[in-house]
Amino acid sequence: MAKLLEAQGITKKFGGLVALNDLSFHVEEGEVLGLIGPNGSGKTTVFNIIMGDFSPDSGKILFKGEDITNLPTHQRVRMGIARTYQVPRPFKEMTIFEDVRISTVSPSIIGCLTEKVMVYDAVIKKILEDVGLGGRFSMYPHELTMGDLRRVELAKALATNPRMVLLDEIFAGLTVAEIEEIDKLLIQKREEEGLDFIVVSHDLKALAPLVDRVVVIHFGQFIAEGPFDQIVNDEKVKKAYLG
Amino acid sequence: MCALPLFIPIGVTRLMVMGSYLAIFAMSWDMMSGHTGYISFGHPFLIGLAAYVTAILSNQGGFQPPHLVLPMYVTIPLGVVAAAGGGMLFFLPSMRARGPYFSLVSLAFLVLLHRLVMVIRPEFTGGDRGLVNLPSVVMGAIPNYYLSLGLMFVVAIGLWYVSRSNVGSVLKAIRMDEDVVEASGISTYRFKRFAFLLSAVTAGIGGAFYTHYLASLIPRRAFGMTFNLDIIIASVIGGMGTIVGPMFGGYFLTFILEYLRPYLYGQWRLFAYALLALFIVIYRPRGFHGIVQDGVKWFRMRRGEVYG
Repeated sequence: MAKLLEAQGITKKFGGLVALNDLSFHVEEGEVLGLIGPNGSGKTTVFNIIMGDFSPDSGKILFKGEDITNLPTHQRVRMGIARTYQVPRPFKEMTIFEDVRISTVSPSIIGCLTEKVMVYDAVIKKILEDVGLGGRFSMYPHELTMGDLRRVELAKALATNPRMVLLDEIFAGLTVAEIEEIDKLLIQKREEEGLDFIVVSHDLKALAPLVDRVVVIHFGQFIAEGPFDQIVNDEKVKKAYLG
Repeated sequence: MCALPLFIPIGVTRLMVMGSYLAIFAMSWDMMSGHTGYISFGHPFLIGLAAYVTAILSNQGGFQPPHLVLPMYVTIPLGVVAAAGGGMLFFLPSMRARGPYFSLVSLAFLVLLHRLVMVIRPEFTGGDRGLVNLPSVVMGAIPNYYLSLGLMFVVAIGLWYVSRSNVGSVLKAIRMDEDVVEASGISTYRFKRFAFLLSAVTAGIGGAFYTHYLASLIPRRAFGMTFNLDIIIASVIGGMGTIVGPMFGGYFLTFILEYLRPYLYGQWRLFAYALLALFIVIYRPRGFHGIVQDGVKWFRMRRGEVYG
């Protein structure tokens, strides 16, 4: 199988702190990758570097075989990478419908000026219903629970028409039933639309039905990779988690 | 509104002209700052650029040789072009400096231009005393009323159209969280640049015509705090990010300042309106536009049309 996303020897330092140290991993086409590690191990930093929020001190990111290390964020999104934020970041003065609509507007000024505001309404409604927010289109973020805000994050990512979605702690603070729902949706998206995911999560149980392979990092360093069952029994991983 | 000068006294007509220009400046400020959240304290920099370019080039009483005096239909567009260039200068720091840092840089631009007209070639810029006896586009209060109202409508309709389109939505999203907009696949760079350019062009149009209406250009006024704050306050009390709000704010401010004149002495007038602005910002941050919106909502709820 071809590699969809590849990180080659990523190093990122913040002052004296080495957040990521020569980290390499890849995601194959059609694969769902779990990215786990104890608190502060650099999982979110990995996402920030893949999205281009900041550039690595050394190393390269390849997407569909192209070097994207120096591309601005919005171009990466247009190529098909989308993300959700660990702490949801909705636009506070917009309804969730308007919020998701921002992800569908034309990238050009002329396009934005001339296109009808309603063009993608049906698409947006479909996505919001898919993530379980049907009938709540005109609510504002402050009226929603944390679980629903995470759904909005997911809807925004899906609305960019991605090839691959980076999910940052999408299960945190959700009930067991909600987690099952999201799992089901992600598996459905994967099967129907061929989306790939990288999932960061503390909740290993939520990951289990979803991921094909897990990469474990600790203090920004690669520790182990392999199928879920093998990883949770790995001595090095246990040591990293339990100290 | 077109027949209005027939019914109102000439003084009020003049006030309407001032109101129209302040409305243009407030809407122009709103395009840049109200929409994107990059609060500019240097809008008179853009207005002043356009005003100085057209004033210097068309100044018959100036020191330049007569063959260098250009007609206004050349100098006013040149002024607008200069303002557009100034807008792009504004855009540069906006890529690095956000929030209060951008505001400070924009203020620095204003101070810079103010100092610049003092030191370079005072025979052209008029130095501290400024330029007087500039040519007028049209003479008299009533023709000026139609001219300013026409300009105001053109600017208002143009900016309102942009604000209502998806461009407006993107700009307001940039105000709320720029990084997230970028992560939605939109080049915030491109949209900010457009907003800044549009704001600068409209500021230039207003600035060029305004200085010919006043027939003078006094740096202490043009770059002074009062004028600067009038623009911002008109926009804020009208309702930032709405275009219609700042338009109303421009007229409101002009009229309230004038009609407070008999009751409040000297600086008390300015104090009173600053106080009013402060209250609106604190208790009704969405300005008059927000007050009207809430009013309509309340009225509809009372009639049972909308629930919640």
